[in-house]
Amino acid sequence: MSQFYLTALQLALCLGPMAMGIFISMKVFNIPDITTDGSYTLGATVTAVLISAHFPLWMVLPISMLCGAMAGTCTGFIHTKLKIDALLSGILIMTALYSVNLMIMGRSNIPLINTASVFEQFHFFKNEQLNQLSTAILMVSLLLCFIIYLLNTDFGIAMRATGNNPVMTKALGINNDRIKIIGLAMANALTALSGFLVAQYQGFADINMGIGIVITGLGSVLIADTLKKWFNIKKISTQILLVVLGCFVFQSVLAFTLSIGIDPNMLKMVTAIFVLIIVALPRISGGWVKK
Amino acid sequence: MIRIQHLTKIFNAGKEDEVRALQDVSLDIQKGSFVVVIGSNGSGKSTLLNLILGSIFPTSGKIFINEHELTMQPEHLRTKWISMVFQNPGNGTAPDLSILENFRLASLRSTSKKMKIGIDNHFRLMVKEKISALGMGLENKLQQPMGSLSGGQRQALTLLMGVMDKTDILLMDEPTAALDPKSAQIILQLASEINKTLGITVVLITHSLKDALQYGNRLLLFKSGTVVKDLDEKQKQQLALSDLYEWFA
Repeated sequence: MSQFYLTALQLALCLGPMAMGIFISMKVFNIPDITTDGSYTLGATVTAVLISAHFPLWMVLPISMLCGAMAGTCTGFIHTKLKIDALLSGILIMTALYSVNLMIMGRSNIPLINTASVFEQFHFFKNEQLNQLSTAILMVSLLLCFIIYLLNTDFGIAMRATGNNPVMTKALGINNDRIKIIGLAMANALTALSGFLVAQYQGFADINMGIGIVITGLGSVLIADTLKKWFNIKKISTQILLVVLGCFVFQSVLAFTLSIGIDPNMLKMVTAIFVLIIVALPRISGGWVKK
Repeated sequence: MIRIQHLTKIFNAGKEDEVRALQDVSLDIQKGSFVVVIGSNGSGKSTLLNLILGSIFPTSGKIFINEHELTMQPEHLRTKWISMVFQNPGNGTAPDLSILENFRLASLRSTSKKMKIGIDNHFRLMVKEKISALGMGLENKLQQPMGSLSGGQRQALTLLMGVMDKTDILLMDEPTAALDPKSAQIILQLASEINKTLGITVVLITHSLKDALQYGNRLLLFKSGTVVKDLDEKQKQQLALSDLYEWFA
C-alpha cells in the first residue's frame, strides 16, 4: 500500500520540473503552452539516445534541457513573431516533435538497461528506493531554489509583469516578445528535464510517453492555484512550492486509483475527471457561498 | 525637446472606414514645458500621444526627441526618454505584483533587467520615502499587491513610478478621467510639481477645461486632426473658462 505512495512521490518529484514549467508558461506568462507533450518526450528521447551512446550524465542533462528550450523557442517565435494563437503554436510544435522524436530514436522505444542513471549516482542509504527518492528530492530542491531566486530577480519581476500587464511592461522598456520567448524556452527546458528524469526512472523512453502529460502538469498547477486562493497566498516563492505539492497530490490520487484496483486503461479518464473536479470545485462552491 | 514635423496618421487608409486622425501637424515643445492638450473626442490628441509613445506609427511625418529621430522606433526602445501615465489606472501597474516590485521595475525603465535581486533595504527605504510624500498612507503597504489599491492610489503611484528612473518626458493621457475630484487634484498637482522641481517636460491630455486652465504653461486645442489654437503661458493666463467653452461650442 505505502509502496504506491512512495512511487507516487518519486514520480511527482520527477514530474515536478514540468509542473514548474507549466506554472511559468501558464501562470507567470499567461500563455497556454501545450508544447509540453512533445518537449517532455524530446527530453526523454535525447536522454535515452545519449545515455545508450555512453555520454556522461553531466552532458546529457544540459543537452536534453537545451533541446527542450529550443522547442519552446520555436513555439514562442511562432506565437509572438508570426502572431499565431499560443495554443495553436504549441500544437504545431508538439505535432512536429513527434516526428523529430521518432527520428532521434530511430524506433519507437529505447530501453535503458544496465546503463548509467542519475538515480544511481548517490548512495545515501542502503535501500535503493530511498536513494532514488533522495536524489530526486535533492535535484528538485536545487531547482526550486534556482527558480525562486530567478522569479525574485529584476529579470523575474519583468517576467511576471509581462504576463500580468503587457501594456505596462512595454512602456517600461521591456521587449514583451523577447521575454515571452525566453519564458517559453525556460518552461520547455524544465519539461525536458522531467523527460530526462522519468526516462531514467522508468528505464526506457517511448514515443508515446508524452501523450496527455500536459494535463498532469496542468492539474498540479490548478491544485496549487486552488490552495493559493484558499490560503490567500501572494508570495511567488510559496506559489511555486505549492506547484510541487500539487504535483504530489495529483500523483497520489492516481496512485490511490490504482491501489483500489481500477483498470490501468482507465487512468487517463480518471486523470481527466480529476482535473475537471479541481477546476470546477472552486467555481461551484463559490456559487454556493454567494447564494 | 520634442519636435514634430508634418505628422499625419490615417487609420484604414483607402478603405471605407478611413479615419484621418492627424493631419500634417507640426509642433515644437520646449524642454521643461507643461503642455495641456484639449479637444473633443476623435480630434487626434490621443493619436498624437500614442505616436510620440510609439504604440502606433505615423503614415507620414517625423518625430524627434532631443534631436534623435524615433519616428519608426518600437515603443520599448523609446522608454529611455519617455514615461507614460495611461487613462486607465490599471494600465500603468501590474496588479498581482507588490507595490515594491512595481517600483523596482519602474526604476529600471531605461536599463536592462538583470538576473540579480535588485530589491534591497536601500531601495526599500528610497521607495518608502517617495511614497510617504504622497500622504496617502501607502508607505507601510509596500508588500501589498498593486491590485488591492484604489484607482486614485494606483494612478498616483504610476506617476511616481514614471519618475523613478531618469526621464525627459512625461506623457499623460487623461490620467484623471477615472478618478474622483480629490484624487484628480492630487495627481495633477503632483505632475505640476514634477514638472517644476525636476524640469521634466509634461504633455497632458484632459477633458476638464477647468484643469486645462489651472495647470500648464502652454495650451493646444485640437480639432479634426489639426492644432487650431496654440497659446503660450501669457495668452493662457488671460484666458477665461468661458472662452474655452466657446471654443467647444
